[in-house]
Amino acid sequence: MTKNEQAAKARKRKHAIMITLLIIVFILFILPFILVLINVFKDQADITANPLALIGEHGFTTKNFPEAMRKMDFLNVFKNSLIITTCATILTILVSAMASFVIVRNGKWKACAILFALMIASMVIPFQVLMVPLVSVYGGVFGILNHRWLLILLHTGFSVSMATFMFHGAIHSNIPLELEEAALIDGCSRWQTFWKIVFPLLKPTIATVAIIDAMAFWNDYLLPSLVLTDKELYTIPIATQAFYGTYSTDIGLVMAALLLAMLPILILYLFLQKYIVAGVTSGAVKG
Amino acid sequence: MASLSLKHIEKVYENGYHAVSDFNLEIEDKEFIIFVGPSGCGKSTTLRMIAGLEDISSGEFLIDGVKMNDVEPKDRDIAMVFQSYALYPHMTVRDNMGFALKLRKVPQEEINKKVDEAAKILNLEKFLDRKPKALSGGQRQRVAMGRAIVRNPKVFLMDEPLSNLDAKLRVQMRTEISKLHEKLGTTIIYVTHDQTEAMTLGTRIVVMKDGIVQQINTPDHLYNKPCNLFVAGFIGSPQMNFMDAVVEVKGSDAFLHIGENTLKVPDDKKSVLIDGGYDGKTVVLGIRPENIKDDPDFLAANADSQIKSTIGVKEQLGAEVFLYFDVNGAQTIARVEPDTPLKTGSDATFALDMKKIHLFDKDTELNLLYQE
Repeated sequence: MTKNEQAAKARKRKHAIMITLLIIVFILFILPFILVLINVFKDQADITANPLALIGEHGFTTKNFPEAMRKMDFLNVFKNSLIITTCATILTILVSAMASFVIVRNGKWKACAILFALMIASMVIPFQVLMVPLVSVYGGVFGILNHRWLLILLHTGFSVSMATFMFHGAIHSNIPLELEEAALIDGCSRWQTFWKIVFPLLKPTIATVAIIDAMAFWNDYLLPSLVLTDKELYTIPIATQAFYGTYSTDIGLVMAALLLAMLPILILYLFLQKYIVAGVTSGAVKG
Repeated sequence: MASLSLKHIEKVYENGYHAVSDFNLEIEDKEFIIFVGPSGCGKSTTLRMIAGLEDISSGEFLIDGVKMNDVEPKDRDIAMVFQSYALYPHMTVRDNMGFALKLRKVPQEEINKKVDEAAKILNLEKFLDRKPKALSGGQRQRVAMGRAIVRNPKVFLMDEPLSNLDAKLRVQMRTEISKLHEKLGTTIIYVTHDQTEAMTLGTRIVVMKDGIVQQINTPDHLYNKPCNLFVAGFIGSPQMNFMDAVVEVKGSDAFLHIGENTLKVPDDKKSVLIDGGYDGKTVVLGIRPENIKDDPDFLAANADSQIKSTIGVKEQLGAEVFLYFDVNGAQTIARVEPDTPLKTGSDATFALDMKKIHLFDKDTELNLLYQE
């Protein structure tokens, strides 16, 4: 066997090991989701008898869904999650896109440089460090817990640094200053230049920030559980947890609740996924 | 249509860098003014000050007699074509061209009419619904022009608009711009570092170096009567030849010694050397390549203005020939007829057309024969 053939064989072996490892990791990740999918359409008896069977003895059923929806007050918690996620995501995008535009285009201002440095620094502070003072300040001193808008503002506040960082890179690398100058000469004010020229060109980054933040807000359990204690204001993760605590024996219902909880964000992801890579890598390579 | 006035314009950046110094220029209506100079000479900075994209540190800038120093770019009634074209990537060609009018709340019907008219002038009718990324470089350049045309502004500003195009397209677009100026009759200020563009397009050229205006005049005047060494070297391609020459005054005549070659200075030019006290001093002799001749008749008639050398390189360009040779250490080019018998390596005798020579002071670099 020649040296080249040996090298080719070694390369193939390495490739095979890598593929095997990837398949194992993929199965580990996808298995819980598959279990939810196959068991959600079975009744309690079939799940207990064989949780791995695709269809139970009693056949295919969708009765878990209306039951779960009613018991976890799904429409209400869905509405809460939707309002909070949508508002916080939009607010994060607007605030951070505008902030990064000002920071990038006024690089000589020391205030901008300091502000940006503080934002980057704030990203390394773990949320767990802040949660106790946060609840005691907003709950104890101001007494404004249990409001959706408080959670919206907190979500925005915690996510705006990362979003500003991403928009900063995108504007810095992908929006030529000449475009803004052309707009100024064409008759735009600074405000119009941002909204009519810069903002539409940030579409890939907007999509990336939207999906990353929407997923984080939708799935967040810790912050809503600290801020919202009123059952009427529960978001899906809190409601799912509460539901699981009450109906942990009826696994079919739990599966239905879990699927209902993850479905909306999964759909959003499928719609926006093509922008994610473009947004994350924007500015990495000069176009 | 407008006249512009720049009075003692200065641009000093915060770090103290003096980008433009004491810039003075009166631009008449319908003039095609070219700012030319090497990179970093302040030509683009001056244009950006006119556009309102840079603050004017001191001095006055007026359009039609109205001071514009503190007027916003959008209120100056100017249009600008950028080097990168600066087309809005998310808009179609039609939207790009109509954007300025839309901002001014011009009725949509009128916008469409003006865009269609401009597209017709620029041959862009087929591309109106395309986005910039689907256009070639030349088409993008024309869209950028179209965006300026639809506004019917007082002044067109163009910042190296052809430098991103390939050589062939550049020549074609140069002609298009020239025709457009004829057709629209708008005042145009055009920045370039390409002296060919400057010579072919401009009604007047402003030559700049290190933020200072060197000379302002017509292309013909700059070519034939450059005020200093820089302008003489910058305008013309191939550039003017320069040789150090020692002046000798003998009686009422003046001679130039370049190594072993001696040239008699014509009567109309010798007085500056004699009266200026240049006897025994070194001056710089400047002569354009086409004024160094090798044809026998000219050589016979100009026995007192000959130089001898050996041909280093012969460049055959078809309609003309460039001969490269050394004269007392100075690389020299002669532009001669294509039927010249001279070859690389052959000894040659040339005669200088002494009526066309330029003489520069070695220290001040000023042209001793012409001053503005």
